[in-house]
Amino acid sequence: MSENNTVKKSRGDLLHEQMVRLGELPPEKEPVNRKRIALTWLIIMVILAGLVAASYWRTNLIEGYEAQDLVAADYLADGAYGPYYRIGRLGLIIIGSVFTIVSLIRLIAPRRRKPNRSIGGDIGIYLMLLLVACAMGFPLLFSICSSLKPLDELFRFPPKVFPQHVTFDNFSDLFVTLGQSYVPFSRYLTNTVFITFVGTFGHLIIASMAAFVLAKYDFPGGKTFFSIVVTALMFSGYVTGIPNYVIMSRLHMIDTYWAVILPAFAAPIGLFLMKQFMEGLPTALIEAAHLDGAGEFRIFWSIVMPNVKPAWLTLIIFSVQNLWNANAATVVYSEEKKTLVYALQQIQAGGVARTGQAAAVTVIVMLVPITIFILSQSQILETMASSGLKD
Amino acid sequence: MKSTFGKYVSLKRENARYNWAKAKRMRTCYLFLLPYAILFCTFFILPILTSIYYSFTYYNILEPPRFVGFQNYVNLFLQDEVFLTAIKNTLVIAVITGPVGYILSFLFAWFINELPKWLRTVAVVVFYAPSIAGNAFYIFSIIFRGDAYGYLNSILMQFGFIDAPLLWLTDPRYMLGVIIIVILWMSMGTGFLSFVAGLQGVDRSMYEAGYVDGIRNRWQELYYITLPSMKPMLLFGAVMSITSAFNVCDVPRALAGYPSTDYAARTIVTHLFDYGFSRFEMGYASAIATVLFLLMILCNKAIQSMLRKVGT
Repeated sequence: MSENNTVKKSRGDLLHEQMVRLGELPPEKEPVNRKRIALTWLIIMVILAGLVAASYWRTNLIEGYEAQDLVAADYLADGAYGPYYRIGRLGLIIIGSVFTIVSLIRLIAPRRRKPNRSIGGDIGIYLMLLLVACAMGFPLLFSICSSLKPLDELFRFPPKVFPQHVTFDNFSDLFVTLGQSYVPFSRYLTNTVFITFVGTFGHLIIASMAAFVLAKYDFPGGKTFFSIVVTALMFSGYVTGIPNYVIMSRLHMIDTYWAVILPAFAAPIGLFLMKQFMEGLPTALIEAAHLDGAGEFRIFWSIVMPNVKPAWLTLIIFSVQNLWNANAATVVYSEEKKTLVYALQQIQAGGVARTGQAAAVTVIVMLVPITIFILSQSQILETMASSGLKD
Repeated sequence: MKSTFGKYVSLKRENARYNWAKAKRMRTCYLFLLPYAILFCTFFILPILTSIYYSFTYYNILEPPRFVGFQNYVNLFLQDEVFLTAIKNTLVIAVITGPVGYILSFLFAWFINELPKWLRTVAVVVFYAPSIAGNAFYIFSIIFRGDAYGYLNSILMQFGFIDAPLLWLTDPRYMLGVIIIVILWMSMGTGFLSFVAGLQGVDRSMYEAGYVDGIRNRWQELYYITLPSMKPMLLFGAVMSITSAFNVCDVPRALAGYPSTDYAARTIVTHLFDYGFSRFEMGYASAIATVLFLLMILCNKAIQSMLRKVGT
């Protein structure tokens, strides 16, 4: 590490250096020898590639026998060796990729290791994370792959994960099916967009107003109210579903958008996250504004709200996820008011003949929330950092 | 005795007067809270209360509710065998997926925290995606399909573990296992995000101080430093995982069918759906909802008091 670098050091770095000077921490390891890592990686890769090639050669040999000589084929192929070669190759590929990742990490990772970390443990953790990540990602990848398969590949035996001939037929079929529905497709889309937009906007304003006073003022009943909201985090739509229906019908809101939108305004998770985030704002800011003669609403609108933008995004994302996936079939009856997800689920329920379209539906429904999450990940994590429940 | 009581009352009255004065001074606060409070009470508190009320009545929406006392609860626990199956299944699912999902999401959040930043971003997306992917769990009905076209069956048959396809989603022996796996797959939810964010917020100098004080490996570090500073997130994560562990409904309905063979995959919530939205016995369904609600509150209280002891 060059001593005269101008980059501002973090507190941790300074502390670390001080500790090293005092002899309390182990001294810096030698700088990573990048050339050696790269060379080792290359050699191992060549060996692995050689093994894979050899195994292919062997399998081909066995399959060659199969063509010429049935007895030899029985002896060699017999279904006994083929799978082993296949598993072996898979193993080699996994070892190769793990090794690649480990060397990449060693190349890129910070020079200084944290204390209390053994290399063996690190590698074990990376390996496990990789395996579990594959297991977690596989079903999602698989549904994307299925949506790109033509019909004959969807029902192929033995099934293959990756499509051989990529096609977008499933998606175009889906639009054809939707085009023939009783209500035009655009109507479903408009409904969902309207519900999502209004619901999210109202939720943001209403929940932030409540969160502001709960976080920054100490007034009688405030704490009790908040603890009720925290308990309400556990009320799922299922438990409240039936009485909600009755209440909606008393309010004459059955079969209107409001039956979906109004409960979403009051979603407890939004208030909870917003309040916890607002507690991190310095109280001095609000007191200063008070002294300058700003009213409560002005403080809320032009001082607090601009400072909690990450929490806005988080609220928006949770609310959009919730409303985008709302199928609302229990409170909305007229076909022209149903949501997109409802229409898509009806297609999905169409049975074997619509397997391809069902896969396309899954992908469309899935991609919207995931994309939003990817785009706003850092802000969400910033908000979630304050999400803890204090005693 | 009487004087103590009198003192108590006058103290309370004094308190109430003080609070009232304070409340009057801070009316703007209530004004800000009002819109949310009204909506919240109408759509979250009132339903719970009406649900408790309806659970003591016979109510089928068409006729006005008729008071029947504890009849619904008596029927529920003494006559309805399917409900007992449902309770058993829900508890099995909750006891397995709740703690396991909770511990796994903490462990993976902790492991992910060790990664360099760009890799951490990717990992968070991969782990969190299943829980927000809408009804992507439908894909498991293809993976676990009962005929030879099902992926699991075909793989197992290719390698010779089984001779004939197994009916993963129709055979009561496997159903619950499959559902538990799928729910675990989806269990890295909001709590997981909260853990990831919380771990990044732990003060780094604490770890170095811990090293000086003799902590020698990552597990000690986890127990003595990380867990105590993560307590608020752990409490929040517990609430979220109780919610998802008890409200299992969509997954068994989509995978095992509705109703499932022998009711082997029936949960409390699917039972509630059956009575509420198929048979319109709202009183009975409300009793089910109340039982579920009480179960969740109790479980939450127990776990909160357990978690408060962590690392202290």
